[in-house]
Amino acid sequence: MRGEKTEAASSEFERRARALLLRSAEELPGAVRSRLTQARYAALAARPAHLPSFARRWVPVGAAVAAVLALLIVYVPHGRGPLENPVANAGLEDIELLTDNDAVPLNGDQDVDYDFYEWAATEAAGAAPPAVGS
Amino acid sequence: MAAFASLEYQTVDLIPSGKAHLRDTTQDATRSLEAFLASVERKAFRIAQIALRHEADALDVVQDAMMQLSSRYALRPAQEWKPLFYRILENRVRDMQRRRNVRSRVMAFMPWRGEDEEDAVDPVDLAMDGAAQPPAQLESDEAMAALEQAIAGLPARQRQAFLLRNFEGMDVAETAATMKCSQGSVKTHYFRALQALRSKLGEFRT
Repeated sequence: MRGEKTEAASSEFERRARALLLRSAEELPGAVRSRLTQARYAALAARPAHLPSFARRWVPVGAAVAAVLALLIVYVPHGRGPLENPVANAGLEDIELLTDNDAVPLNGDQDVDYDFYEWAATEAAGAAPPAVGS
Repeated sequence: MAAFASLEYQTVDLIPSGKAHLRDTTQDATRSLEAFLASVERKAFRIAQIALRHEADALDVVQDAMMQLSSRYALRPAQEWKPLFYRILENRVRDMQRRRNVRSRVMAFMPWRGEDEEDAVDPVDLAMDGAAQPPAQLESDEAMAALEQAIAGLPARQRQAFLLRNFEGMDVAETAATMKCSQGSVKTHYFRALQALRSKLGEFRT
């Protein structure tokens, strides 16, 4: 019984407090109301532009992909090193072949010793097999 | 006022004319936000004023809260605005109270420094209004002043719970979301606030 009375008194107190507070908010001075209106319009002007939903969805994804690609470009080595790269080394190998005296001639028939090959063929056809121990 | 009307649709102008459906959606969203801010601004001002006991500071705090809600959370669903707004408001009130504390400590080391002109009470404001007030209005004003003083004397969490539940009319769940605490805590803070106010004020008339 006493609990119910206390609860009812609390409700009455709450109701009165609420009525007073609401009235004080309704009866604000004109200067304050004007400042609040100005603040509201300033806040609305600061509102960001509404992006289309697909853009809102894909902009973060695109930004993440771009960031990952940038990291890959910066931190991952660019293929194999120059000494292991056959394409990069092709020029060097050509130079070695051209400058090597023992290599197969690459400049056509200019340096071929035809006399030597004819003599060798004649010797091979007419000569007896070499004697043992000679 | 006409100057402000042009601001209302400033963001809408950023949308190409071919995207009419987006323009309509944005206008609706702007109107919703404006209606929301208009519905809470007076109560928010009174809540800040009761906590800070200073009209200009309360206006600054409300303006900051509106600005932050609009610039950072306007694209969130409308049902989230109220808890977000009052949470921002409470944070701004606390920031302002901290700044004041720091300022008063600094001022304590400067005894030669007089009272700020802004804080000085204007004697004109203290003069009695020429028009006689009806007794009922006078009684109501006195009751409001007593209630305001009693609420300002409450601990911050109790004050917040009382004002959000009783004045703003939030339910327990909304209040808990705003205060970032459990519903049980909200009930406890509110009950203690009510007890403290009743013991201070007794039964007062409206």
